Amino acid sequence: MSVFGDELRPSSTPSRMRPHGNLLVLRLAVLVLFGVLVVRLVDMQIVKGDEYARRSRNNHIVATNILPARGLIYARGGEPLVENAGVYAATLIPEFLPDEPDARYRIYVWLEDTLGVPALDSQTRVAAAEKNSRPGQAIVMKSHLSREEALMLEEASTDMPGLSLRIVPGRNYIGGDAFAHVLGYIGPQTAEEARLLRDEGYAFNEPVGKAGIESRYESALRGEIGFSANEQDAYGNLLNVLMTRESTPGNSLRLSIDLDLQQYVAELLEDSLGDANTAAAVVMSPRTGEVYALVSVPTYDNNLFGDLERRQEEYEALATDDKRHPLLNQALTESAPGSTFKLVTAAAALEEGNITPATGLNVTSTVLEFKGENGVIYPLYDWRAHGYINLVDAIAWSSNHYFYMASCGIQNGGKGLGRNTEESAVILGYYARAFGLGQKTGIDLDAGEMSGIIPSPEYKRRVHSGPEFNPEDREWYYADTCFMGIGQQDVTATPLQIARMTAAIANGGRLLTPHVVSEILGPNGAVLRAMQPEYTDVAVDPAHLEVIRRGMRSSVAAGAGAKAAQPGLDIAGKTGTAEFGPEKADGKREQHAWFTGFAPYTDPEVVVTVYFDLGVGGDKAAPVAGQIFRYFEDHVKP
Amino acid sequence: MTLGYAVRTRTFAFRGWDRFDYLLLLTSAMLVVYGLVLIHSASSTTYDGPLTSFANPVARQALFAIISLGIMFAISQVDYHHLTHYAWYLYIAGILSLIAVLVFGTEAYGSTRWFDLGIIQVQPSEFAKLATILLLARFFSEHGGDARELRALVVSLVIVVPAALLVFIEPDLGTSVVFAAIWLGVVVIAGVNRGHLLLLGAAALAVLPFAWTFALEDYQVERISVLVNPDESPLDAGYNVIQSQIAVGSGQVFGKGLMNGEQTQLRYLKVPTKDFIFSVLGEELGFAGALALFLLFIVLLLRIIRAAQIAGDTAGQLIAVGIAMLILMQAFINIAVNLSIFPVTGIPLPFLSQGGSSLMSMFIALGIVQSVIIRHRAYRQT
Repeated sequence: MSVFGDELRPSSTPSRMRPHGNLLVLRLAVLVLFGVLVVRLVDMQIVKGDEYARRSRNNHIVATNILPARGLIYARGGEPLVENAGVYAATLIPEFLPDEPDARYRIYVWLEDTLGVPALDSQTRVAAAEKNSRPGQAIVMKSHLSREEALMLEEASTDMPGLSLRIVPGRNYIGGDAFAHVLGYIGPQTAEEARLLRDEGYAFNEPVGKAGIESRYESALRGEIGFSANEQDAYGNLLNVLMTRESTPGNSLRLSIDLDLQQYVAELLEDSLGDANTAAAVVMSPRTGEVYALVSVPTYDNNLFGDLERRQEEYEALATDDKRHPLLNQALTESAPGSTFKLVTAAAALEEGNITPATGLNVTSTVLEFKGENGVIYPLYDWRAHGYINLVDAIAWSSNHYFYMASCGIQNGGKGLGRNTEESAVILGYYARAFGLGQKTGIDLDAGEMSGIIPSPEYKRRVHSGPEFNPEDREWYYADTCFMGIGQQDVTATPLQIARMTAAIANGGRLLTPHVVSEILGPNGAVLRAMQPEYTDVAVDPAHLEVIRRGMRSSVAAGAGAKAAQPGLDIAGKTGTAEFGPEKADGKREQHAWFTGFAPYTDPEVVVTVYFDLGVGGDKAAPVAGQIFRYFEDHVKP
Repeated sequence: MTLGYAVRTRTFAFRGWDRFDYLLLLTSAMLVVYGLVLIHSASSTTYDGPLTSFANPVARQALFAIISLGIMFAISQVDYHHLTHYAWYLYIAGILSLIAVLVFGTEAYGSTRWFDLGIIQVQPSEFAKLATILLLARFFSEHGGDARELRALVVSLVIVVPAALLVFIEPDLGTSVVFAAIWLGVVVIAGVNRGHLLLLGAAALAVLPFAWTFALEDYQVERISVLVNPDESPLDAGYNVIQSQIAVGSGQVFGKGLMNGEQTQLRYLKVPTKDFIFSVLGEELGFAGALALFLLFIVLLLRIIRAAQIAGDTAGQLIAVGIAMLILMQAFINIAVNLSIFPVTGIPLPFLSQGGSSLMSMFIALGIVQSVIIRHRAYRQT
């Protein structure tokens, strides 16, 4: 009966009925193998457990930065000059793309159909990223999407893993091209910047100010970055927020620059350019140093820096325009100041006492001859025979001969500033520096401000020290001091420096630090900090400045600066026509046109400095300055 | 045959109930329940339907377990000599199925190991392992099958090598190793000459470098080398290694608690209900949970070795030894993979990993062991 019992046994009867194997070996094998596992577990879970626990937390907790809203910038009247605008970009993260080629290709085709990114392009760039084992980094396939495109992308990305919409904080400058040089722009961090900024707690994708106010006031505008710690699963889905620290928006700035004035001056300069390539104007307060307008022409649209991908050509055209240098801020760029420098010479001579307000000179000829150190007779020119003039007349009519007398001294006209030619130059340099020339003004802009040059015998020796110069090139000659006295030789200054110098004359000797930001405002609009006037005193007798002011008033009333006159306005000013560059065929040289002045004559409240790279000061710069005074009086005057 | 025995068989449908190893049954059932708990935890993020639905991996696994238990009881009723009697046929069928799977099988994770039969995936190597054990047992228990002779040893190798090679081609390195371990266990217990064994071991060592160069696929070499430095390619080959290390290591002594393992619940672990189920255990139940598991396995294995001890004949003994080696090596390799001391290879954890095919083959094996126990020496002597 027993089917599963005995009858089968004979066929498979073993040779040895008694099993003879030693099963202890097998039992030991069991214990040894599990012993190995236990040892390994002790090592992993008990010895290194804390380390793995930490790695487990890092594995799934990701910190996301919350970028702060950048502070805004307002013009003097509270008009916004900039708004924050996110730049929408379509990105692909290869790691999250589907594995199946068909599903991937569907995403590429969507990109091509909707955003015009060639599918082949997407494929190549994703493949390249995967090859470089960077599958986790987002590839920007297209930036600056329109709002509609961004919305479509946002919608489509829900069922297209790996495709996502990224919003990069950006700026939209709405004050017009006139503000380009002042405001500057923001942009992504460069590799070098990133290293430094990381220590300051910057996120890698956080843009920073690159120029102008955006750069100088970066720390005020930026705000404080926030972050959120999120729990993330292995597929990159955020599950829940563990901890959040909100970002603090940046502080806003109120400028001293007047929106309408800035735009008016920019248009005025542009319209008055004529033969000139570039122009600049500074309108500032001689009381506080506040800058009402700081204009550089030609200007450009600073929004292009936020959109370089599309506007690269435009940018390169600007960057390679060697004639007009649109990216340079001409108001902070140095050039020969010409006769505007005579104001410094006048102050120096009065202070040194080698002339008095009453000192006269009879200029009967436009040529004044002098015997050079080598015994040769050279001519010194004036632009006209002024007749008998005193200091006030000399300023009014911008006599060269009179200021040669005041600086280097002339025969029959008294000695110069010092005991000899070199000392005269050094003394003149000292006064120039006292009026802020030859050094940066310290204006609160990162705009490549130049310091200008105030030459000296030592300076000449240094710059002519190369082997290409003859020993006599390094000598400081009598004529050097003379030409320095009328703002030529190697003297250079920026329009802003000339405006600042003018302000010091107008206000009786206070050398103000110009500034364009007047208030820092908190996010709620409260004033956190109001800029106070900063100044140093110019060691010049106010009475002497009074004489100079009279000369300037006379210049506009009935002198070289007459074209600056405006009915009903008591304007005082000084023209400048500075020669520069090599002599042309007709023996003349190119000229910069300058006018610097203030108004009203009594109790001045505004300084205007106008500069054209080509032109005659009295003809080109003076009328423009007059119109600016007029506009200020009618529309801006506080 | 005594009258008493005949009476008993008539009285009870389940014969041999008094000799049946209930402890073995209990530990295997506890292992399955342990597995169900872990599968429940590991699948909670991917499945949130009703508990009793057939789509629920826990319910499916439980159903497979019940079916498997039934099969185990049925097989325990079959005299294992029937199985050894037909061992050659079973073996040939096993080899044919291994060839067939290479031709018609379903490819997954880069290797061809399964037949897809709709609701269940069948892995023929599971069957082939049992067939090989049966054939080895029969061979060494017959005349001329004396393991002390080199000739018999070589014949036994000829039995094992085709099956091991076929799974190696799939490729399934882990199962090849299991085959080798089964053979080693059986020949050692069958009384192999130590010198012969050393000779074969030396030959194997000599072949190893060539195997590394020619026989191993690139991905296998990579899987072995990531053990040395998993951080080298954290997203590709090293991914599973790193994630399972982090999971197990971060479990520490008492684990993070069931359903609380971040590595598991946030899906950093791949195939957490199958090959990496031990990582889930390590993370959520910690060192303590792992020791409990080891204890269950050790009890189970020692009970199977006990079966070998008390087996009525050499065939029964060697069957029990082969099955002990099978379960021991599968468990060891699977856990070793989870602990990054063995290259990643698709060996499920016996009784715990989700998958009907593996579970069923394990209970078939236990059924055979029970069959050996029911017909043990002491009983035969009565």
